[in-house]
Amino acid sequence: MSPRRHDLHLLTGAYALGALDGAELAGFERHLARCHACAEEVRGLAETAARLALATAIEPPSRMRDTVLAAAARTRQLPPPGRTLIPLGTPRPGSRARRVLSRSGTGITLTAMAAAIVALLVLQTATWHQLQATRSGSRAVAAVLAAPDARLQSSVASTGGTVTAVISARDHEAVITTTGMPVPADHKVYQLWVIGSSGARSAGLLPASRAGATDPVLAAGLQPGDSLGITIEPSGGTSRPTTTPVVLMSARA
Amino acid sequence: MNTPTRREHADPGRPEGDGQDLANLLPQVARGDHQAFEIVYDRLAGPVYGLVRKVLRDPAQSEEVAQEVMLEIWRAASRFEPGRGSPISWAMTIAHRRAVDRVRSETAAAQREHKVTTGPVTGEDVAELVETALDRQRVRRCMGALTDLQAEAVKLAYYGGYSYPQVAELLGVALGTVKTRIRDGLIRMRDCMEVTW
Repeated sequence: MSPRRHDLHLLTGAYALGALDGAELAGFERHLARCHACAEEVRGLAETAARLALATAIEPPSRMRDTVLAAAARTRQLPPPGRTLIPLGTPRPGSRARRVLSRSGTGITLTAMAAAIVALLVLQTATWHQLQATRSGSRAVAAVLAAPDARLQSSVASTGGTVTAVISARDHEAVITTTGMPVPADHKVYQLWVIGSSGARSAGLLPASRAGATDPVLAAGLQPGDSLGITIEPSGGTSRPTTTPVVLMSARA
Repeated sequence: MNTPTRREHADPGRPEGDGQDLANLLPQVARGDHQAFEIVYDRLAGPVYGLVRKVLRDPAQSEEVAQEVMLEIWRAASRFEPGRGSPISWAMTIAHRRAVDRVRSETAAAQREHKVTTGPVTGEDVAELVETALDRQRVRRCMGALTDLQAEAVKLAYYGGYSYPQVAELLGVALGTVKTRIRDGLIRMRDCMEVTW
């Protein structure tokens, strides 16, 4: 065993007690993913630490029970791991929602949403360790993870640029962002459509691009078989698409 | 209004005739079962609050953090994976991390008041209203089997919430020494208490 690996193995106790920080913590967690012996040892030592914790139990103030139970009644829960998630808000048809609200009612700014979507592309399925490590995680990302079943889909637009949709089949909603799409000429605008068996319904205009990316727009009321499309329309938008969509994706809602 | 009935649990994870394992309750909680959560609360709030109190010391802050932890147990119940450890370990890890985060974020280690107790874990500065008798006795006995140096390192790291380099600095010893004391001490505790999982 190389000296370095032997050193890492010695960290099982410190890790089990939560006494690792920063880069060393990250490095050790990577090691744990590869070292079965260490993972086994950590598990036993973590159980031991938990017994230490149990021995210091104290009856909490009785008011705490009511407070916690009441808070639980209005707190949504994380779904099981394995799904990538974005919080989706109440539908406001025809409007360019300036704010997308999570279901728990806390407002999430559009910028945070965009950041969350970008973060989503980077994050894989979070382990519960990561979920609990709220040390540096932003609240926006934490809220992203606390959302209904959803999946990410992206397509390249014929104008250039990428359109990303996060679609929740259960909620029949999607949040659309774009990057790298050129600003249309002649004051024209990008308009989002939900296209179904009965035709195309506007889901609003994409906001003006900032630094090459548009803020999220919500499309609600998606039905199975619907598609999402973006067209270039005259300023102010139209009631029906007048041009061929620059991007079309199946919503698979 | 329900007044919580205090129960004495040798192990909050195991049922006492009133029903279920935490391992069975957590998936129910994950599905939104509030009654299951009430049972989970009654089993875990004491250990959570006690651990947080031990680390944070301040009662008001401890109550706040303990509430956050219990709410997180509700919120993240679906993330408990039986293959990764016991429900107790899962819950106590959440509690410990939150408490340590609070301490580390608020004070520089040098400013933090710490107590180095070399005796057994007694919680003498904490009101003990719940007796988890078997657990305490066992921990007390097994902690007594550690060397003073091992016990000191374990307690500073766990209850003090220090990182192990900070423990090394506090004790004026090398990093490797602290690593080894913590690991050896925990292994001894584990074997003494016959921890299984």
